[in-house]
Amino acid sequence: MKLTRQDGELESSPPFSPHRQADGISRRALFKVGVGGALLVAIGGKWMPFSQALEEVKADYALIIDLNKCTGCGACAQACNQRNELPEGKSFIRRLRKEEEDHEHCWCLPVQCQHCQDAPCARVCPAGATYRHPSGVVLVNEKACVGCKYCAVACPYDARIYDEHKGVVDKCWLCLDWVLGGGQPACVQACVTGARIFGRRDDPEIAEILASGRAQPLHPEFGTRPGVVSYIFRGS
Amino acid sequence: MAEHHWGWLVAIYLFLGGMGAGAFLMAAVVELTGMRYRHKYCPTALVGAGVSGPLILIGTLLLILDLGAGLREPWRILLMFTNFQSVMTWGIWILTLFLPIAFVYGILEVMHVYPGILAWVRKRVRFLPETLPYRSIKRVLAVVGGVLAIGTAIYTGVLLSVVSAVPLWHTPVLPALFLVSAVSTGMGLTFDLAATLAVPEIHRHYRHMPVIHMIFIGLEIGLLALLLVTALMQGGVAAESAKLILIGKSSVVFWVLVMGFGMFYPFMVHVYAFARKAHGYRSGVLSGAGIVIAGLFVRYLIVAAAIPVAL
Repeated sequence: MKLTRQDGELESSPPFSPHRQADGISRRALFKVGVGGALLVAIGGKWMPFSQALEEVKADYALIIDLNKCTGCGACAQACNQRNELPEGKSFIRRLRKEEEDHEHCWCLPVQCQHCQDAPCARVCPAGATYRHPSGVVLVNEKACVGCKYCAVACPYDARIYDEHKGVVDKCWLCLDWVLGGGQPACVQACVTGARIFGRRDDPEIAEILASGRAQPLHPEFGTRPGVVSYIFRGS
Repeated sequence: MAEHHWGWLVAIYLFLGGMGAGAFLMAAVVELTGMRYRHKYCPTALVGAGVSGPLILIGTLLLILDLGAGLREPWRILLMFTNFQSVMTWGIWILTLFLPIAFVYGILEVMHVYPGILAWVRKRVRFLPETLPYRSIKRVLAVVGGVLAIGTAIYTGVLLSVVSAVPLWHTPVLPALFLVSAVSTGMGLTFDLAATLAVPEIHRHYRHMPVIHMIFIGLEIGLLALLLVTALMQGGVAAESAKLILIGKSSVVFWVLVMGFGMFYPFMVHVYAFARKAHGYRSGVLSGAGIVIAGLFVRYLIVAAAIPVAL
């Protein structure tokens, strides 16, 4: 079975093995497992010693954007729009124009969903349509989204877009189908200057950058703990 | 004014929810204190009870119109009852409980005032009793519904105030302001507007009402000032939001319609009413209209002035 963003199947897919989806786990079975699992986690979180490990659901992937290399060309946004067939004028990646201190030059800050560990969009969603995939990627189940736009209002990174045609609020899903199959998100593939570095956290190249502390989250003071995206800020 | 993600529909919904809750509270108060029975006819109780359910229903329907899935796949709305972390889910539960109570209470009040309705129904449905114990049923419903009405009014503010991404909203002042505004608009609708239209010499009957109303209008002005001044002091986008309201494009609406016609004028009418034990017919109707219009525009201005944190 092919994994698509639209059918909400990602919710049911076990992490890192998209092909096992074909087993066809029924929704009812999933619900039972989900409820049981939630109960176990709830009880376990309180009584068991592994509660701390459960609290810190570490993202498996990292997308590092090197702002020293980003030219603001917009290839990432264009590739993303094409890949996700977004309506005209809407994009998961916003390019913010930032002025240099001399007011003559400017630089670009590309912003998309940061896949927060404490995602406010997931907390406020009344329908529970926004959720965290076990890989740490924050996803929208488009079959559950009611289009109330509360998530869009609550996201401090303004990373949500409202699709009038579908009536749902959408956002970057890190091209998770490609990623789980071993590929890379469209924006990373399209980046001309190699400013976007993507991979698993245990990949030596990624692990080295993360360990060096050069890659930092954008606006950690928002308190949402960005889980996947981090930036190498200018001059560092 | 630049609308961010939410606009008029949400503002009207917040307004109607608040005013419906306020109208119900007015009816509940005159019922529980026995003021309703002091005179033969109590328009405040009748209108307050009668309109609160329909007002909230209209607001809810507008909200459904604003939902992406509202008309496309309305069954998805059921999912909105599921995430108890979300303030919107709490609100939907409160509304779901409050709406039927408000409607039943309204129907009971109308039947209480017009006994002919029950007699007419009895001609068709024989087993109904000749009369109903209106007062005891209404007493219970007024208490339960009153609590839910306060919950509805507060929820409309909490919905916005939990959003830390919009600094203007992210303050406990907002739920307090929305609660006070809900009571004030409820009073404006059921007391100033409805009661003045029905019984022009109304203030001769309820002498302390103008004082209570003055207190609520004063509180509303105070809370609104607190909200905007703290936003200005905070600086950044919060101050920008406050400036949008105070000196931006909509500042005329704010100063003339909200502060002038909706707060200062009704306040003065009630000062006059308190001193003279009466106010004119026209001034009563106008102050009621002003309060209601101010309630709507306060919400719209606050919703529309949402500027998210800077990146």
